[in-house]
Amino acid sequence: MSIRARIFSVVGVVIAAAFLQTLIVLQVEDRRATAAAALDRSIWRLENQADLGRLIVELDASESDRLWGLYERTVALLPDVLDSPESKRELAAIDALVRDWRAAPPGDARAAMMARIRSEFDRFATRERGRLGEERIRVNSQSLQSTLLTLGIPAVAIVMLLVLVAFVARILLDPLAAIANSARQISGGSFDVTLPRESKDEIGDLVRAFREMITGVQRREREVTEARNKAEREHERLKATIETVPVALVIVDTVSGRIVLRNRAAGALIGREPDDDAGREAYWRAFRVTTREGAPVDVRAWGAARVLQGQTIVGEELVVRHPDGREIPMLVSAAPLRDEDGRITGGVAALQDITSLYEVDRLKSEFVSIVSHELRTPLTSIKGALQLLIDEGMAADPDHSMLLNVALSNTERLVRIINDILDISKIEAGKLELNARPLAVADVVQHSIQNVDPIARGALVTLRTDIEAGVPPVQADLDRIIQVLVNLLSNALKAAPPRSEVTLAARSTGGGFVAFSVTDRGPGIPPDKLGLLFQKFQQLDGANTRKARGTGLGLAIVKALVEMQGGAVTVESAVGNGSTFTVTVPAARG
Amino acid sequence: MKVLLAEDEPDVQLIARLSLKKAGFTVVTVGNGVEALERVADERPDVILLDWMMPDMDGYETCRRLKADPATAAIPVIFLTARVQEAEVARAIALGAVGCIGKPFDALALGTQVMELLGPR
Repeated sequence: MSIRARIFSVVGVVIAAAFLQTLIVLQVEDRRATAAAALDRSIWRLENQADLGRLIVELDASESDRLWGLYERTVALLPDVLDSPESKRELAAIDALVRDWRAAPPGDARAAMMARIRSEFDRFATRERGRLGEERIRVNSQSLQSTLLTLGIPAVAIVMLLVLVAFVARILLDPLAAIANSARQISGGSFDVTLPRESKDEIGDLVRAFREMITGVQRREREVTEARNKAEREHERLKATIETVPVALVIVDTVSGRIVLRNRAAGALIGREPDDDAGREAYWRAFRVTTREGAPVDVRAWGAARVLQGQTIVGEELVVRHPDGREIPMLVSAAPLRDEDGRITGGVAALQDITSLYEVDRLKSEFVSIVSHELRTPLTSIKGALQLLIDEGMAADPDHSMLLNVALSNTERLVRIINDILDISKIEAGKLELNARPLAVADVVQHSIQNVDPIARGALVTLRTDIEAGVPPVQADLDRIIQVLVNLLSNALKAAPPRSEVTLAARSTGGGFVAFSVTDRGPGIPPDKLGLLFQKFQQLDGANTRKARGTGLGLAIVKALVEMQGGAVTVESAVGNGSTFTVTVPAARG
Repeated sequence: MKVLLAEDEPDVQLIARLSLKKAGFTVVTVGNGVEALERVADERPDVILLDWMMPDMDGYETCRRLKADPATAAIPVIFLTARVQEAEVARAIALGAVGCIGKPFDALALGTQVMELLGPR
């Protein structure tokens, strides 16, 4: 049975008792009224009896009709006010005696009758008084009972209320207090609590829910603990990773400008900065940082300023000269660190010691240079020997002469390949030094034409030059611009059919540039091949093997050389209608 | 016209010698810089061709010594180098040489190239 039902039933009983009490009170009131009315009638009866007694005495003295009439009326009224049948019977007996007395002739007998009437009436009156006394006692006792009832029922209600309170206290407040106690214990960290038994009511429900809550809280706490442990393990692993990764990692805080995290590699690379500001200042001043080329770099302006503006630095090279004398080339990457609101709170930098890469780079350059030199020496002998043989006309057989020429042209091609590989290697290593200076366009054109003149004559192709009047000098490296134009002219001569023309034109394009164009009347280049032209080791299919073949590096070198000098190279071609390669080079200023 | 040719590679030395002979030069060959310095006083060449890279004494050092000795300072020196670049030519000129001829040289034009570098006398 639920507490709600129990409380309702107890309250119901109390209300019923109150209602009953009201009914009883009404009943008692009614009985009181009845008793009062009875008393009133008794008094009236007594008066009437007294009247009757008095009338009998007066009738004895003088039998007037008026008195007799009064007697008749009184005796007729009396039975109505007499309650008991006994009284009525006694009164009727007395009345019979009076009527007998009246009918009797005067005399002693009559007087004796009167005396008997009077004594009978006195006895009646005495008995009536006694009856009245009994009536009084009865009414009084009834009144007492009513009072007791009126008082008793509220007392019962009060007792029931007390029972209700005790009951509520036992089934409601005690378990609640116990639960509150348990809750306090749990919040203190102890789950070892004693809970009230699980009754089949709301409190039982509460206890059950509370127990489930404890289980839930315990499970949650276990989960939280596990998650925390896991997070700690992850954190440890991350820390270990950061610590052991062979890249120096440094995190700098924006506000203090200090290094807040440095891993082992960073410690080895830059050491530990002193804690005091002056010491730190001196510490950082002792480092000398330069670019790879040796230009000094202010690290704060170089890195901090950019990163704190939100820039990311990807793989830039710096050379750090450590106060202890070490010179460490580094690949530096850095990125801003932001908080949840996107504000930059610091920066993280990764410094990679690339000493070994520099070494590899140096070894590669050395290797290329040694190899090219070592190849060049035997090639010098082969080429010279072949040239001298051919020149002496030693081959009697025309086939032998042809074979000697094949050997010579392939030797020359091998020399070109070596030269090109050396160039590409230098360009890719960033070691190609350019000596740009103002050059007269006519000189550049003349040098280039001279270089390819023998090939043109051999190919029966006419070389034409077309220099715009008033073209300004160009700002370029003489050797390299000639190399570019010779390369383009050689290609054009290879493509040009015999007895056609190859034109080298130079004109000002405006905007501070001079354009050199090499045009041939060859077969042209299919559009789908145009994109591949400037890539390394790309050669057009069907290149004429009778003529000197290229190395596949020529146009890649041309593009690199031109772009390094601030220019560009483009090509226009139509199949069957020749090609035009155009190189733009900055005009010299002033 | 007499040439003193210092070249450590016998094959290259042979080609250069034949090539210059063909062009009408009298050729005296040596294998390195030390020999070149030893022979220069006796031979009194009109021009000296020096390979840049040689064992014992390289062309650079040989040239420096030739130019340092008043007896030989006036003899023109031409370098035979792996690669003719402006920087290398400038270095050669700075040493007192008249120029450089790149390898592999043109065996049919070596004499002409030497004469061009010597210029009108």
